[in-house]
Amino acid sequence: MTDAAVDIRNISKRYAGHVAVRDLSLAVPRGAVYGLLGPNGAGKTTTIRMMLNIIAPDTGSITLLGQPSTASGVTDRVGYLPEERGLYKKMEVRRVLRFLAELKGIAPKVADKRISEWLERVGLSSSEKDWGSAKVDELSRGMQQKVQFIGTLLHEPELVILDEPFSGLDPINAQALKDIVVELRRSGTTVIFSTHLMENAERLCDAVCIIARGEKVLDGAISAVKAEHGGRFVALALANGAAHSLAPVLNDPKLVRRVDDSNRTMEIELAPGADPQRLLRTIIDSGATVERFELVQPSLHRIFLDKVGAAGAEERTNGHA
Amino acid sequence: MAMRKLWATTKREYLERVRTKWFIVATVFGPVLFGAIAFLPSVMAMRTKASTNFAHIAILDATGTDLGRRVTRALAADSAYAAAGPMLRIIDPKELTVAESLATHEVMRKQATGYLVLDEQTMAGETARYAGRNASSLTDVDRVQSAVRKGLLAMRLEQAGIDSTKVQALTGPQLSLDAERITDQGRGGSGTVSVIFGFAIAFLLYMSILLYGQNVLHGVIEEKSTRMAEVIASSVPPDTLLAGKVLGVGAVGLTQLAVWLITAYALFKVRVPLLAKLGVHSTALPLPSISVGLALLLVAFFVLGYIFYASLFAAVGATVSNEQDVRQAATPVTLLLVATIIFMEPILLDPTSQLAVVMSWLPFSSPIIMPLRLSVISLSPLVIAGTMAVLIVGCIASVWLAARIYRVGLLMYGKRPTMREVVRWVRYAG
Repeated sequence: MTDAAVDIRNISKRYAGHVAVRDLSLAVPRGAVYGLLGPNGAGKTTTIRMMLNIIAPDTGSITLLGQPSTASGVTDRVGYLPEERGLYKKMEVRRVLRFLAELKGIAPKVADKRISEWLERVGLSSSEKDWGSAKVDELSRGMQQKVQFIGTLLHEPELVILDEPFSGLDPINAQALKDIVVELRRSGTTVIFSTHLMENAERLCDAVCIIARGEKVLDGAISAVKAEHGGRFVALALANGAAHSLAPVLNDPKLVRRVDDSNRTMEIELAPGADPQRLLRTIIDSGATVERFELVQPSLHRIFLDKVGAAGAEERTNGHA
Repeated sequence: MAMRKLWATTKREYLERVRTKWFIVATVFGPVLFGAIAFLPSVMAMRTKASTNFAHIAILDATGTDLGRRVTRALAADSAYAAAGPMLRIIDPKELTVAESLATHEVMRKQATGYLVLDEQTMAGETARYAGRNASSLTDVDRVQSAVRKGLLAMRLEQAGIDSTKVQALTGPQLSLDAERITDQGRGGSGTVSVIFGFAIAFLLYMSILLYGQNVLHGVIEEKSTRMAEVIASSVPPDTLLAGKVLGVGAVGLTQLAVWLITAYALFKVRVPLLAKLGVHSTALPLPSISVGLALLLVAFFVLGYIFYASLFAAVGATVSNEQDVRQAATPVTLLLVATIIFMEPILLDPTSQLAVVMSWLPFSSPIIMPLRLSVISLSPLVIAGTMAVLIVGCIASVWLAARIYRVGLLMYGKRPTMREVVRWVRYAG
């Protein structure tokens, strides 16, 4: 047994016509921000629903916070924000939140205090206007999203699962959500979120798992993933633009595998076994004035494109790299 | 743990419904309706009596006898608010047509309410004619008719040589018929009262089951369409959510029925003294005599019937994603209820028929048919226990079925599943 917040072993889920999740295993370390990445229809939501025991996997086992996910009471320690969001329209905001807290075993008195604090914190309750006593459908979409975040976090869960949390958020709410995730991480809460937006994942996640067509493509800590799957890249900028004398250097297959010229900077992928120090020396020897020469890691975006594209091409042959 | 969550969902269903304007209006309006039923007839009767007092009726007597005088006397005695009695006009048969058109004009100008024509056809015992504004009032016409009959009878008896005081004594009695019901337990209450009561109970049960069953249905759809279902499903097993919904809405129904029945009972109790204060004399409306045992049985049948139908409605709700599909999807369940109500009247008229017996044993009709029969006839404890046991088995089956459909359907969106798909949900859920 590991000390993982979530430990998924070989789960599969089959629906009438297709396989939603196939033999998936992953471990989410406690206290980490974990990204579940994949294109639409990859099986992210199905995986999340199985974690929360909303649907049962056909095979395999899931351990949440050290207990089987089917154990009674374990989901009380988890907060969940589904992809499709909504609240009872005709209910007062405070009453909805109190109900959600009560479902997680929070006494109404405790809940009321926390609700007031949260409403003030997200700006839904001030001396001028208290949206807490308004009906849900009187709130704007952005306000309803805030209420939904509060409902997810009110019972101070040890594990928070957010399904596509950034979809449909305006930049202000997206920023607020990002701040909340960072703060949760700081207080020791484990956060899992699914997304297909790599920029968010790259900024926030400690570790990721990329899935496509219900199968795991790769997983691990971001740094490890980049080191392992990225290859080696150099960002290069020259003072007077690319000199003609540089062309033979860049075309040397022993040094350079591929160049992506973006005008101001060039992204150079080193050839296998090539030494970046030798490349730098060769460039300077060719007479170019180097402004920037930096060893960089590839973006998650690039890894995602490479790997998911590859998995697509290799579908049904040998799985993943 | 599970109980605490069941309590939380039940409480929400109950409180959110009880807080709505609809509930408050319906709960208050119910007693107002009962009040109207208890008070209006007496008040209306007082008003109609005043307007149709027979002082404003003209009697055109073209018989050449004293029949007109006799009828006038009989009507005057019947008219509580008019000492004067109707206006009697002795008419020559030849001038009857003129007198009639004159009387018609009087009625049109509201100088008279109507007029009665007595002619040789009346003397022959065939017809008398009445025309007037109150011609559609059955009681008025009935009274005029019996006054004419009585007068004619008295006249013929006297012509046959019977002494006029004797005739008075002989034709005097005003007879009314009191019908009383006899059951296995002996005589009990009025026959009509128990039929009306049986009908009212059955109809009330039908309305309540339909109303609150649909309430459950729309509750499920609301949770699906607002996507609240998924948030709740991450905290509460679907079965608990389903149970909380059925129990919460059921409690709302019982609350409303209790408020209605208590106010109705209280209103019937204070009706006579209250009307007396308003200056209206009335007799106490007969209340059906219900034993505590019967009352408990009625409640038990209501609760079981509600559980049976509410679970089915919840299952229907889980199979649809939007309000547009609801009506079509709910039709099979609604049909079961409507089929029951169609047979209410024949069963009420013959509560021991083959039809009545069969429908008492079917779980979908017994919650309505059994209370109906119980309030008009008495049934053996064996039959009551047996039908209730079958109904309980029916409830268990319907709850089981609903839980399985609900569990899968709660997170299904989009196209409505076919019957075959629903069967597969039932088979594989687990």
